[in-house]
Amino acid sequence: MSERSGRPLKVALIGNPNSGKSTVFNQLTGLRQKTGNFPGVTVDIKEGRLRFPSGAEATLIDLPGTYSLYPTSSDEKIVAAVLTNPSDTFFPDALVYVADVTHLEKHMLLLTQLMDLGLPVLLALNMSDTAKEMGMAVDVAVLSKRLRIPIVSISGRTGENIQMLMHELEKVIHGIQPGKKSPSTVFYKLRDVEKPVVEAIRQNTNIDNAYRALLLAHHHSWLPFLQKHERETLAAIVQTKEFPSLRAQVDETLDRFDRFTPLVRDAIQQSQAISNTNTDRIDAVLTHRLLGPLTFFAVMLMVFMAIFFGYDLSGGWVENISGSAIDTVGDTLPDSWFSSLLVKGVLPGLQGVLVFVPQIALLFLLITILEEVGYMARAVFIFDKTMRRFGMNGRSIVALIGGGACAVPAIMGTRTISNWKERIITVMVTPFISCSARIPVYLVLIPVALPSSSWWTKALVFGGMYFFGLSAALGAAYVFKKILKTSDPSFLALELPEYRMPHWKNVWLTVWEKVRAFIAGAGKIIFLISIALWILGNTGPEGALERAEKNVILSYSAMATHEELDDKIAAKKLEASYAGMLGKYIEPAIRPLGYDWKIGIALLSSFAAREVFNGTMYTIYSLESVGKLEEEASSNQRPFERYGRLRRQMTDDTFENGDRIYTFATGISLLIFYALAMQCMSTLAVVRRETGAWKWPIFQFLFMSGLAYLAAWLAFTLLS
Amino acid sequence: MQRRYRTIFDLKLNESALAIAVTDPSLAGKLTAMGVLPGTLIELVRPAPFGKAYYIKVDGVRLALREEEAASILLDV
Repeated sequence: MSERSGRPLKVALIGNPNSGKSTVFNQLTGLRQKTGNFPGVTVDIKEGRLRFPSGAEATLIDLPGTYSLYPTSSDEKIVAAVLTNPSDTFFPDALVYVADVTHLEKHMLLLTQLMDLGLPVLLALNMSDTAKEMGMAVDVAVLSKRLRIPIVSISGRTGENIQMLMHELEKVIHGIQPGKKSPSTVFYKLRDVEKPVVEAIRQNTNIDNAYRALLLAHHHSWLPFLQKHERETLAAIVQTKEFPSLRAQVDETLDRFDRFTPLVRDAIQQSQAISNTNTDRIDAVLTHRLLGPLTFFAVMLMVFMAIFFGYDLSGGWVENISGSAIDTVGDTLPDSWFSSLLVKGVLPGLQGVLVFVPQIALLFLLITILEEVGYMARAVFIFDKTMRRFGMNGRSIVALIGGGACAVPAIMGTRTISNWKERIITVMVTPFISCSARIPVYLVLIPVALPSSSWWTKALVFGGMYFFGLSAALGAAYVFKKILKTSDPSFLALELPEYRMPHWKNVWLTVWEKVRAFIAGAGKIIFLISIALWILGNTGPEGALERAEKNVILSYSAMATHEELDDKIAAKKLEASYAGMLGKYIEPAIRPLGYDWKIGIALLSSFAAREVFNGTMYTIYSLESVGKLEEEASSNQRPFERYGRLRRQMTDDTFENGDRIYTFATGISLLIFYALAMQCMSTLAVVRRETGAWKWPIFQFLFMSGLAYLAAWLAFTLLS
Repeated sequence: MQRRYRTIFDLKLNESALAIAVTDPSLAGKLTAMGVLPGTLIELVRPAPFGKAYYIKVDGVRLALREEEAASILLDV
């Protein structure tokens, strides 16, 4: 039953923004969900598995929220593009439409459009618990009879009637028979201005459904699945029939409202006014002329403090546990190339990712809570004017805040920005915001640059790095604003949802999904990089490593201890290896910034992911010495005291002429470089997917890294 | 000459008026889909802290609109 023509049945979940759709999605699928980027599909859409009581299964697709099939932003366009194209990967066999029953009239427009597409629809009247509290009575039977579709009253938040929804959905699916059209539920009657165009399209193409033909007439210029000749045919029809697209859309919308408003009023009895006074009271503060912006900055400061002091309080247990685990592995395994690869290559690299998993999880948690309670929409409202001054949209602030955790999901979130220029600018500058991958890099480099400063000075510099990143983002945005041109309309038009307590299941699932995606993405890259680095560090041109060892023994055999001699041998071998040669090769290019060839290797590998910096430095300095990587686990180190051994090795290191490498100037120069450079393959990949062209990630890589080089050079020159 | 319509800018805080039309055709599609229709009750809640945008209620639903978007909604006198 669950298979049809060899593929699993697909059900799409659809609804307006703020209909509580994602809560319903989480209730239906729980942990059986993933955000896939599917082969041949350019967008990420969440999907999950549905298990019916009978044991049958189906795929549940979570379509982006939209108000109608006349989209203005690219996430809304996804909905129209999927539903007008029966050969789309995501084209559903049936729909579950989620509507907020407390504002049902506002949610009916899209529902009636979907009914006209001829797809089987099940209507889920969500937030029935709130409706009850408001004393609202809904006559489901009457509504169902008038609309001629099955309806279930549910509450995504309490889980009420979710089983009933599954049961009804299974009945809907049972009713689907291949080749047989579902009973006609046509709601909207075409008007005279639309009839000739729809008739012509039905005659000239294989499209039978009248509403789909109408949508193609409206959207023929951008629908991505149309072939060139199809697009031309449609364009010719629209032109000869002189079809007034914009007007027709508005008139259709008004006509639909005229039809369904009486239906809804017949079925719903309201006993009191619906305005939520709690939200009024909270907004009187949070969107207040003075208190609003003040609260925003206070909230952002608290988020920042939470990351920093969260790190402080965590006492470095991740480092300590993983560090001693690595040492244990090293002690247990017999000496071989394999244990060396594991202990000096892969494991330190992975440790570099693990150390900031608590940080990124905490950031995702705080941001998700801000979104769940409805606060982000207020930030968008408050800062729309400010963001426009920098060529962006109020919605960009959500990306900029999210970029503090990780740019990848933040950039995917820009799909809600309808104006191309505003969206591209947001995508381009979001990676300047200090993401959580920069935290461990800053924590190593700040004490290297300022070894004798007080803890508070270092904390201030740490905060300053966030401010620096934000300034770079806004500065670059302002420049792009002057350069880029577009004729796209730009919208704010944003619904401000009622404040509500976060739904914790939603929060945990979102955080879990984002952290998992992050570890999987970054982990894979770091795993490969650390293996490559280990191989390059342990191999060299024919006989080079052996010669290096012999030379050390000849010239340093008078050295006091065996250990010092072994360290010297390891150092010279690394220098003679392919990794050393590579570092030396690029050294002339980075010497003006104050860097040596070892930093050069770290820079090269950091272009895969910036957090690789620490792992690479660990690997380089541990390849260079035979001692244990971690010092004895000392509990409760404060942030800037972490990575003690690595930092000591770094500060002691010298150029060939005996000058110290890590001076104040080099430290600051490196900090600036890591704040500005585009060092993240995952981000570049997502920019490619979201912009649909390679030119944007390439341009982003070049301008960010070029700026990083110039700024680091300037800082080094001025400070030394 | 007496004006036959008002806009949101003419409303005092927490004052309401009935919408009669949305003028700008490129905004009309978006706004009508969000429920801003002739005959709905529009209430001005407050302007944005830095200006250039308005917090309104449309039949109890809260919306944030830019100045241009708000200007395109005609209200009865």
